[in-house]
Amino acid sequence: MVTKASKGNLKLFNRNSFPLVSFVLLLVLCVVIMGADYRYQILKKIKSKLTTATSSITYLINLPVNIFINSKDNFIAKDLLKKKIVNLQQINYTLSIAVQENELLKSENKILRNKLKIKKDFNITGVNAEIILPKIRNGHSIITINKGLKNKIKIGSAVINNTGLVGQIINTSKSYSEIMPITSEDYAVPAIMDNGKENVILYGNGNGGLEIPLFPSSSSIVINDKFVTSGIGGLYPKGIIIGRVVEIKSTTSPKFNSIRIVPLSQPTTFTQITVIDIKE
Amino acid sequence: MINKTIMEQNKERTSFIILFLISIILSNIGILGIENSTMMPNYFIALITSCILNKSSFLNIYRLVIIGLIVDLFVGQLLGQYGLIFICIYLIYFIMQRILVIQTTMQLFALGFFLILCGFLIVWATSLSYGLFISFNLLFIQSILTLITYLIFNIYIKKFI
Repeated sequence: MVTKASKGNLKLFNRNSFPLVSFVLLLVLCVVIMGADYRYQILKKIKSKLTTATSSITYLINLPVNIFINSKDNFIAKDLLKKKIVNLQQINYTLSIAVQENELLKSENKILRNKLKIKKDFNITGVNAEIILPKIRNGHSIITINKGLKNKIKIGSAVINNTGLVGQIINTSKSYSEIMPITSEDYAVPAIMDNGKENVILYGNGNGGLEIPLFPSSSSIVINDKFVTSGIGGLYPKGIIIGRVVEIKSTTSPKFNSIRIVPLSQPTTFTQITVIDIKE
Repeated sequence: MINKTIMEQNKERTSFIILFLISIILSNIGILGIENSTMMPNYFIALITSCILNKSSFLNIYRLVIIGLIVDLFVGQLLGQYGLIFICIYLIYFIMQRILVIQTTMQLFALGFFLILCGFLIVWATSLSYGLFISFNLLFIQSILTLITYLIFNIYIKKFI
């Protein structure tokens, strides 16, 4: 039996007119805007201007989660903390001896350099800043710091902390800057193994690590080998620790292996960082 | 088709704004307990799909583009990308509505899943066209999570509007 549809549910051969002209116009408009944005980086400029406002909103949004994480950390058992203090004291003692040794080596190195007339300067100069907001924007990790254009921070500068390389400045406003972490998918850094062999480029995998998709299988590499910045390109000073090898996988080609690296610096909490000056 | 009253339209508009704000908030925080920050649903595609499928009178093709541009300002990577995605979802829905009889909840669910997949396919295609690399596997996981979000939004819209 054929029944008449009482509601708008039955839509067989619906004859509602579709705004085809408007659709085509809007489609073209969107494509044009995308093209213009790709060419002139309009969205990046707008976001850079809005950073001051959006940072505070994002801070408020992340506040409950941060409070939860911070309070969770605060409830760590007292004994555990005591044990940690004892361990740290031991490490501190060992390090203080190592520092003395370093001082000696440094002065010896200086004398040798003067004798050999080597003028290269290894001193890292930069601006110290504090991470105020590690956030996620549409699935992409971004770190906000409390220094900006007025502190002479420039887009593209490398960012480090006491444990190693953190990332690179991608946006700056007057008082804030945004960092793309080294684990970000769009990130790449020229690196070298800490024994001075194998110049490679490490790529962030967007999943908390870095990778070398094609590493020559003829080269010797083992788990826990460390990678440092190679200094090629001049953006990053040579010798900054990036991370250690955690996985070596074979690829479809027998000539190459795929290497996964975990960064040593995890700037997910409020920590101090240094933005390295770009040398003109 | 029964026209919606002004009161119903106002209710729809308010609900949409609330869900939109919730989507902005959720897009800025990761899912608790999941360390991988990229593994999160696309709340905006879920919201627009559920609104289109619930025949929200508040949305038209022009508003979809404007909403898309606002979304791009907050979470987008390329200005105009979300506008394009939303109007394409709208177009696909219109075509499907013309050739299929959508009556049962299961059919609506399937159509929702199809629209979300189409949305992600456009995200993937446009991202690749403009040099933004997104892993296809990640997009597939995101589309599954988006489908779950779509169901939650759908329940909210059905219950409160």
